[in-house]
Amino acid sequence: MISNEVVEAEQRTNESRGKNEARRVRVTGKIPAVVYGAKKESIALTVNPKQITKILHSDSGHNTIFDLQIANGGKEKVMIVDWQYDPIKSNLLHIDLKRIDMKAVIKVAVPLVLVGESAGVKQQGGIMDQVLREVEVECLPSDIPSHIDVDVSQLVFGQVIRVADLPHGGKLKFLTPEDQAIAHITTVKEEVVATPDAAAVDATAAAEPEVIKKGKQDAEDATAPAAPAGKK
Amino acid sequence: MLMPKKVKFRKQQRGRMRGKAWRGAELAFGDFGLKVMECGYITDRQIEASRIAMTRFIKRGGKVWLRLFPDKPVTKKPAETRMGKGKGAPDHWVAVVRPGKILFEMEGVSQADAAEAMRLASNKLPLKTKFVARHGH
Repeated sequence: MISNEVVEAEQRTNESRGKNEARRVRVTGKIPAVVYGAKKESIALTVNPKQITKILHSDSGHNTIFDLQIANGGKEKVMIVDWQYDPIKSNLLHIDLKRIDMKAVIKVAVPLVLVGESAGVKQQGGIMDQVLREVEVECLPSDIPSHIDVDVSQLVFGQVIRVADLPHGGKLKFLTPEDQAIAHITTVKEEVVATPDAAAVDATAAAEPEVIKKGKQDAEDATAPAAPAGKK
Repeated sequence: MLMPKKVKFRKQQRGRMRGKAWRGAELAFGDFGLKVMECGYITDRQIEASRIAMTRFIKRGGKVWLRLFPDKPVTKKPAETRMGKGKGAPDHWVAVVRPGKILFEMEGVSQADAAEAMRLASNKLPLKTKFVARHGH
């Protein structure tokens, strides 16, 4: 989806590259980024993480095409292709931006949204298991959908919705294998409360795992003559 | 209890637990998860106790994934033994976790139920944890 959002960025010089400089950039409240693609040179940048987070959390998410305004440079249409979060603080650390040629087809991952309450969950008491959350498609940048709806209202036990069941044709070309499962109804066995006797048996049965012996050693043992006594 | 089927060596050195969990730090299977916020060892018994606490709370309502496996042996010397005479015998198994690692994931339950199940599971663990949900929930 094309957005009117304009993200302002500053170019980083060759001296301001590397791990230490990236940390200094983050201290100032910005994050390092890089823009590449469209057969042009890659440029190291700094961007405002708040603007990027807003784009990533929008309806179209990472598939949003927005304008990148580089200081002392022109405006370009770009898309976020990769992003890194801190595993503890969950703040953005770095993003990769790709220049988008609006006339060329691109490969994008589009989120799948399950629609409706399935019969398997409602009537049969199963659990909906969504195996695939994004599907890879090829299309023109202007045709990227924000998401693809998957109707699961008729899904029952034993049935699987696959990529082949999605609405094909039109402007999207699916790149994910057609037989890839998207969702199915599963069931979970209820936990059996272990009796004290069974627990005791379990505890005694817990032996040490098998130690893998080297294959070479076995062969040597079989062929080599017995070592003379007293020799170290 | 969880433990490897085959190992290359019976005993291991302790090693160091530096840094963050850069891998296994995002939800991969379910909609909700439990993220550990500090580094440490989680034993096979603690993993089993957490799993039981979660599955008993949600009953047949949801699916649970374990994202950690105790693959490190911890040895122990017998009681009232003098020091020396070599390393003790393998006693139990632990999973080494670094901050940010997702321990458990869950799907098929409401957010409130998942949060309560994860709280019960967290009570069985020796480390600080945080409940996480997929964006949009």
